[in-house]
Amino acid sequence: MYFKKNFNKSFNILLLRILIIFVFILVSFFIIIPLLPLFLKSFSDNKNNFIGLENFINYIQNPSLTQSFINSLKVVITTTFFSVLIGFIYAYALTRTRLPLKKFFNTFSLFSLYIPPLAVAIGLIYIFGKQGLITQGFFGTIPGFDINLYGFNGIIIGEIFYCFPQALIILVSALNLSDQRLYEAAESLKASPLRKFLTITLPNIKYGLMNSFFICFILSFTDFGVPKVVGGNFNVLATDIYKQVVGQQNFAMGATISIYLLVPSILAFLIDKNFQKNEASLISGKSIPFKPRKNLIVDSIMFIFCSLILILVIGVFSSIVLASLIKIWPYDISLSLQNFRFSNVAGNGYEPYFNTVFMSIYTAIFGTIFVFFTAYLVEKFKPLKKIRMLIYFFSTLPIAIPGLVLGLSYILFFNKPSFSVPFLDFQIFNPFSLLYGTMGILVLANIIHFFTVCFISATTTLKQIDKEFEEVSESLKVPFYKTFLRITIPLSLPTILEIGSYYFVNSMITVSAIIFLYPAKIPVSSVSIVNMDDAGDTKSAAAMSTLIVLTSLFVRLIYEFTSRNVSKKSSVWINPLET
Amino acid sequence: MIKKEGSFKYLEIKNISKNFGETFVLKNIHLDVFKGEFLCLLGPSGCGKTTLLRIISGLERQTNGDIVQDGLLISNSPTEKRDFGIVFQSYALFPNLNAKQNIAYGLENKKINKKEIEKRTNNLLRLVGLEKYSDQFPSQLSGGQQQRVALARAMALSPGLLLLDEPLSALDAQVRSKLRNEIKLIQKKLNLTTIMVTHDQTEALSMADRVVVMERGHIAQIGTPFELYKNPITPFVADFIGKMNLLKGKYDKKNCVFYYLNNRFLISQNTEYSFLENCLLGIRPEDIEIIKFRKNIEKEENILRVKIKEITYLGTIFRLTVVLESKLEENIFVDVISNQVISNNLKIGDFIDIKLKKEKIKLFESNL
Repeated sequence: MYFKKNFNKSFNILLLRILIIFVFILVSFFIIIPLLPLFLKSFSDNKNNFIGLENFINYIQNPSLTQSFINSLKVVITTTFFSVLIGFIYAYALTRTRLPLKKFFNTFSLFSLYIPPLAVAIGLIYIFGKQGLITQGFFGTIPGFDINLYGFNGIIIGEIFYCFPQALIILVSALNLSDQRLYEAAESLKASPLRKFLTITLPNIKYGLMNSFFICFILSFTDFGVPKVVGGNFNVLATDIYKQVVGQQNFAMGATISIYLLVPSILAFLIDKNFQKNEASLISGKSIPFKPRKNLIVDSIMFIFCSLILILVIGVFSSIVLASLIKIWPYDISLSLQNFRFSNVAGNGYEPYFNTVFMSIYTAIFGTIFVFFTAYLVEKFKPLKKIRMLIYFFSTLPIAIPGLVLGLSYILFFNKPSFSVPFLDFQIFNPFSLLYGTMGILVLANIIHFFTVCFISATTTLKQIDKEFEEVSESLKVPFYKTFLRITIPLSLPTILEIGSYYFVNSMITVSAIIFLYPAKIPVSSVSIVNMDDAGDTKSAAAMSTLIVLTSLFVRLIYEFTSRNVSKKSSVWINPLET
Repeated sequence: MIKKEGSFKYLEIKNISKNFGETFVLKNIHLDVFKGEFLCLLGPSGCGKTTLLRIISGLERQTNGDIVQDGLLISNSPTEKRDFGIVFQSYALFPNLNAKQNIAYGLENKKINKKEIEKRTNNLLRLVGLEKYSDQFPSQLSGGQQQRVALARAMALSPGLLLLDEPLSALDAQVRSKLRNEIKLIQKKLNLTTIMVTHDQTEALSMADRVVVMERGHIAQIGTPFELYKNPITPFVADFIGKMNLLKGKYDKKNCVFYYLNNRFLISQNTEYSFLENCLLGIRPEDIEIIKFRKNIEKEENILRVKIKEITYLGTIFRLTVVLESKLEENIFVDVISNQVISNNLKIGDFIDIKLKKEKIKLFESNL
């Protein structure tokens, strides 16, 4: 009776489905599937015979290995507790008090984000080590003080340095979401400061608090850099994997320990995810932000506290820089640039440094494109809901995969030229094996290793962009990809830049994900720090650390500059009052 | 003005249902929209009016039923293949494009040369009276101006159907009434078939050729604004379009009498009500008269003695809230012109007699 329009399936929807499935395949192959050979390996001996749980039993029966597990737990509990505590006090000072020089404290607290944990450890050696500045009492001018750096103490201090800024970022944003009116209402009901803290402040930040516990747990449980340099004889899981794989070439035991490292991480991840699921914003858009009042006692205590933390951070940073410039610590403390020649056996001149810079640039470019596009497909469209939910889940998972585990699983997965199909005498070519032994695999490992944070930040931004833009475009017959290029990307530019700079900085400083993966012909600088330190060439390690930190800071400065320009340009459509 | 019979059905909505699992959002909606008509979907939030609009646009898919637009079955066509323009409540103007670029957004995607785009964009800017603002970004425009840009953008591809989703609710009262007239003028000028969703009855009554009152996923009544006011067929419509007092009582069909507590009211014999004893008596506040100083009250019909509980000033009229001594919790509203209240010196607590005009009384089936 009626003419039926014969295009029930439109080209755009088809294209969209293909793209979503394509991204699903990519994230599966980059995140989930590489873990399978790792699991298989942990049930096999080194000749690939299936031996069931034997590796796991061997592990438990080996007292030195189980000791590492207990050590790891000790480190994690202590580090997480102190990092969150310090992070919370510092964040509280920044958001809820009239701390003097707030801007200064805010900027420099995040300084240690740009220092690789390895470099933190090296800095600590120069302060608290055997010949350290404090241990020797500033070259014998005052009585020395030895904190017994090598071992538990050193690891704890290093890890707190590494974890505290991460907790700080989360807690600052949680504490920033506040409503002055709640506090005023409580005051009018004669609530004591303690009661206000317990009934308003804490419930408001519980999700942030939980999340920072989780992040500190994962980071300190899986970090390899600090224990490698200052751990001494205090073994943890991460250093054990390294020793098994690099030292003894025992991949099976490496895989087994990886599982011991992976399982608690995934558990913590699931607990946190389950907890965050209930998050509902308690603060509405119309909230009036909290305005702290002057309180001389609190403000002064906070000032002293924050200054102490900052002195430590800056102290560690300067000791790395100084160490790299001093000829022979502590005997000849004249300054020179000779440590920057990297002419020794362990170094390869400047090659590792430039490799790392290029690797970080590639990671920043390809990672940003991939992560943003993935988040866009997951967030903005309706088709294939189940698959999109899976992509979302996979994308949040990498934060729980320790770098060493990721690296090991990538070797096992990517060096296989083909897969054999079980029970059939049939081999499938593994196209991803082409990446093995190239810079590509390093870039890919970095993209995945830092995927979650970037993905969440892209998703958050995309959520804030009116979903009706897509609907309007559809009604105007404009295909989605045009709207993506013309509207979504310009509106997300600040976040895109942020993701790019995050990828760059983290690729510069990371060691754990790439230490198993880097091909011999492509040395990278963070690995050469490990090697130089192993060879006792600490001053070259310090020099390389300095280069990394300075490069990261430089890129961050470029980022700040660009994003300021972008926001100046876009301010005409964001804040008309400024034009 | 009303094109009902003989006019061309531009859009036919046939038996449309939408449910999420067990919950029905829309149930068996039948609706014809005529060419050039301005139709309003009116109802409280959650009645399914926006869902119906989104189903017409293809942004949402119906569970059942068909839609025919201009003789074509479009039930399963994707949004981009349907012929309509839409204005959202939030306008959804692209913040990084200026007014002109926003309007030209859909045109630029078609294979039209630049001169033609320029010409059409300028025409649209003129149509909505924004020639001077073509280079401004949305954040630099007032709410009313943003609304006009959204309207012009929706009309850029010369769609056969214009969909408006609460287009005025984000504006303040003055701008709103001005834009009401403008939208209506443009719509008539272009003879553009238009469907507007709103929860504001004044807006619906003042703009629409026909109003569709929706309630909990179904259509309660369709009619011209005046028809709905004069002859509401359900108590819901009666109370949603204007105000209606609803008294629960018993209807004696034979004698045309309605019993409310121990009062009896005579009902006009012109209308025959088919339903049972228990029903509702409906009367609008403006159809109740105050009788204070009249003698021979006994001879008058449909009188109630009530006590004044509240007096609310509404501009040219006062709305009295009155109650029966025997039923204090049931409010009856009476609208009185201001002079009457002042000259009679009515105060809270006074007893007055009110008369329900017989010919204005309506009866409704009680679904309670």
